[in-house]
Amino acid sequence: MTKPKPDFLAILRTLVRQRVEFIIVGGVAAVLQGAPLSTFALDVVHRREQSNIDRLLKAVETLEARFRTPGGANRKPNRSHLSSAGHQLLMTRRGPLDLLGVIGGDRGYDELVRETNEVRLGSNLKVRVLSLPALIRDKEEVGRDKDKAVLAVLRRTLEEGQKPQT
Amino acid sequence: MPSGTMRTKHAEKALVSNERIHSDDGVDLTLIRWMLSLTPVERLKVLERHLASVQRLRGDKT
Repeated sequence: MTKPKPDFLAILRTLVRQRVEFIIVGGVAAVLQGAPLSTFALDVVHRREQSNIDRLLKAVETLEARFRTPGGANRKPNRSHLSSAGHQLLMTRRGPLDLLGVIGGDRGYDELVRETNEVRLGSNLKVRVLSLPALIRDKEEVGRDKDKAVLAVLRRTLEEGQKPQT
Repeated sequence: MPSGTMRTKHAEKALVSNERIHSDDGVDLTLIRWMLSLTPVERLKVLERHLASVQRLRGDKT
C-alpha cells in the first residue's frame, strides 16, 4: 500500500487557507516549541462551532481525508464526526491527521485557546500551538504510559527554553 | 551549516563551558539546545525528514 510522505506544513497551509480555527497539540506542538521528539501524526483540536466545522469539512475534502481505522479506508469524516468530542484518526494525501474534539481533562478549543502561543511558519503562515506547560499538564492528567514517556523531555525543554540565551 | 554539525557544536560548547549534557532524569540536553536554536519551520523539517527516513528504512512505498 502506498503511504503519503508526511508533509505537515502542507496540511497546516490547507487548514489556514480555509480559515479553520484550530490548535496544534501533541507531538508536533512539542516539536515546534523545541522538544526533540518524534510523532507520526499531526494532532489538532478544532473549534466545534458550525461555521468552523463547515470550513474544516472543506479542508478535509481538499486533503482527501479518510479514516485510517480498520475498515475506514473509504469512509470520509462528516459533520457529525467533527461535531463530536471524539478523536477522528484520518489519513490524508499529505499524511496522518488527527482531529480531536477534546483532549486531557475534557478540554476543547474554547478552554485551550487561552493557553496557546502564536507560531509563525514562514512569511505568511501563523498557527496556534498549545503551550508547553499546558501540554505537560494534559499528559500528566491523562497519565498513560506513552504520555509519561515523553514528560521528562517536555519538562527539560521548558526549562532550557526559559534560560537566557548565551 | 549541516544540522548534524550544528548539534556537534552544541555538544562541544557544553563540554567547554561545563554546561550539563544530560539532565538528572537522563534527557540529552544538547539535543534540546540544538532544537531550540532552530526556527519552528526548521524544527518541523527535522521531524518530517526523520519520518521519511523511518518510512524508507521500513521499505514503505511513498
